[in-house]
Amino acid sequence: MSKINAPKSNREFIDACIKAGDAVRIKQEVDWENEAGAIVRRACELGAPAPFMEKIKDYPGFSYFGAPLSTYRRMAISLGMDPASSLPEIGAEYLKRTNSEPIAPVVIDRKDAPCKENILRGKDVDLCKLPVPLVHDGDGGRYVGTWHAVITKHPVRGDVNWGMYRQMMFDGRTMSGAVFPFSDLGKQLSEYYLPRGEAAPFATAIGLSPLAAMAACAPSPIPEPELVGMLSGQPARLVKCETNDLEVPADAEIIIEGVICPDYKVEEGPFGEYTGYRTSPRDFRVTFRVDCITYRNNATMTISNMGVPQDEGQLLRSFSLGLELEKLLRSQGIPITGVYMHPRSTHHMMIVGVKATYAGIAQQIAQLAFGSKLGPWFHMVMVVDDQTDIYNWDEVYHAFCTRCHPVNGIHVYKNTTGTPLYPYATPHERKYSIGSKVLFDCLWPVDWDKTNDVPTLVSFKNVYPKDIQERVLSNWTNYGYPPVK
Amino acid sequence: MNQWEVFVMDMTELAEGQDIELSIRTLNPGLQKYTYKRVRAQVSSSLDKFADQLQVRLGRGQLSSARYSIKVIEEIQRIPAKYL
Ligand SMILES: Cc1cc2nc3c(=O)[nH]c(=O)nc-3n(C[C@H](O)[C@H](O)[C@H](O)COP(=O)(O)O)c2cc1C
Ligand SMILES: [Mn+2]
Repeated sequence: MSKINAPKSNREFIDACIKAGDAVRIKQEVDWENEAGAIVRRACELGAPAPFMEKIKDYPGFSYFGAPLSTYRRMAISLGMDPASSLPEIGAEYLKRTNSEPIAPVVIDRKDAPCKENILRGKDVDLCKLPVPLVHDGDGGRYVGTWHAVITKHPVRGDVNWGMYRQMMFDGRTMSGAVFPFSDLGKQLSEYYLPRGEAAPFATAIGLSPLAAMAACAPSPIPEPELVGMLSGQPARLVKCETNDLEVPADAEIIIEGVICPDYKVEEGPFGEYTGYRTSPRDFRVTFRVDCITYRNNATMTISNMGVPQDEGQLLRSFSLGLELEKLLRSQGIPITGVYMHPRSTHHMMIVGVKATYAGIAQQIAQLAFGSKLGPWFHMVMVVDDQTDIYNWDEVYHAFCTRCHPVNGIHVYKNTTGTPLYPYATPHERKYSIGSKVLFDCLWPVDWDKTNDVPTLVSFKNVYPKDIQERVLSNWTNYGYPPVK
Repeated sequence: MNQWEVFVMDMTELAEGQDIELSIRTLNPGLQKYTYKRVRAQVSSSLDKFADQLQVRLGRGQLSSARYSIKVIEEIQRIPAKYL
């Protein structure tokens, strides 16, 4: 069996974080109205440990866990790695696991499923019985789903989708959410349910194992239940819903079951978003009618607080978008050195390193990137050569400012798919998810003469003979300099 | 007296002296705070005209300085009966 030892539930994850000093227990009472959200937000902005809030005003017995994966340390812990692992190490592990054989989930008996410890049906169903937080002051509502999975199934093809699509509490039995038309759920709805006017069964799972949550917001083509298995090295444990045929993670803290209404829409938003703004306005969006709520004893609600960097919206999404693009480009045989998104770009810029062995390689990369399932989520691709360290912004920025020709190196693509959340987009573009994209080609053109046309990079490493470099390095402290770390 | 809040894109959505349909959320303390109702109502910029108070937020959550009083005439069920 696999040697992966990743936390299998949100509870195991909280324990592991506390042990590593990456979560703090907050024992004093915290208000669900703004205070909890503000704690999570500040923890994100400081890169501080995740808050585990054990006492919530008005909701005895419930707790909150905020900012679950907003640091690389917590991402490493979630994967069962040393918290001090470097970003390239964590990335390599993600690639290794997600390139392995799919691991199918198992369905367990409902009597063994912790998420069934409490069940509310019929007249008892009321979302107000859950400690649904007001995450940011001025949000359109209290958000039930900020770190969760919306689980659905294609009724004909049978493929299951777990996606993280925000969900607002409209009233005690109704939620509305931002399900973008290009997302897997958006496509299920527009392809099947909406034209037929059929209600789509759904289940929202909150308080997932961190890798189940990672899978729900990873833009991978692999169905999420298998992806969780691959990431954690063991089958995900699922259990049947009470009111429909869907299967949900048995160890989740809270499950909300119901139907997506094809013929009824209520208002959703505004909400603080990963770009660091509230951009999408209040609008009529996908509407979820709730039929049943199940939850564990002492359930913990998970909260991601989107805003300025860095929260899961930037850190984790940049991570998985970049690595999924890396897999795509490698699958096409492109000689890349790697792909990286700076979280601070709010996952808007892909930086790709490549050995430029033929003409047009940057455009090939950009067209694949923008044309893929990942494409709507970013609008800039910057391609640098294999000598540039893609993780080192100083080097990338230097390459950009010196090698990207303002006319020949910048390529604009119009009328692509966008998201309604782009702060720079016009209101019309946002309304219809219309995007536009730009490629910054920072490669020396292959038709330049390597000796006479390509400028020489003047750096310590590049212009001095090896023996001089070694002499200077070994004498550095003798010259009187302090040692370099 | 109840406290309500409404989101509008434009203040002209709050026409005075006529029945209008609004989605308003309750600001009364309690577990229901911030949940919505769809209502037929009248609003007035004179705060003592109706017993209930209404505050207004704009499209991106900005709190408006305009205040209204509101009379909820009836609750409207928009949801198709099959979901009830
Ligand atoms: C905290 C968080 C909130 C998100 N909210 C939304 C959302 O409201 N709507 C959406 O379409 N995508 C949202 N995303 C991005 C999706 O989770 C992501 O695109 C995921 O890959 C969707 O799954 P799919 O590829 O199966 O559609 C969110 C991601 C995170 C991390
Ligand atoms: Mn999916």
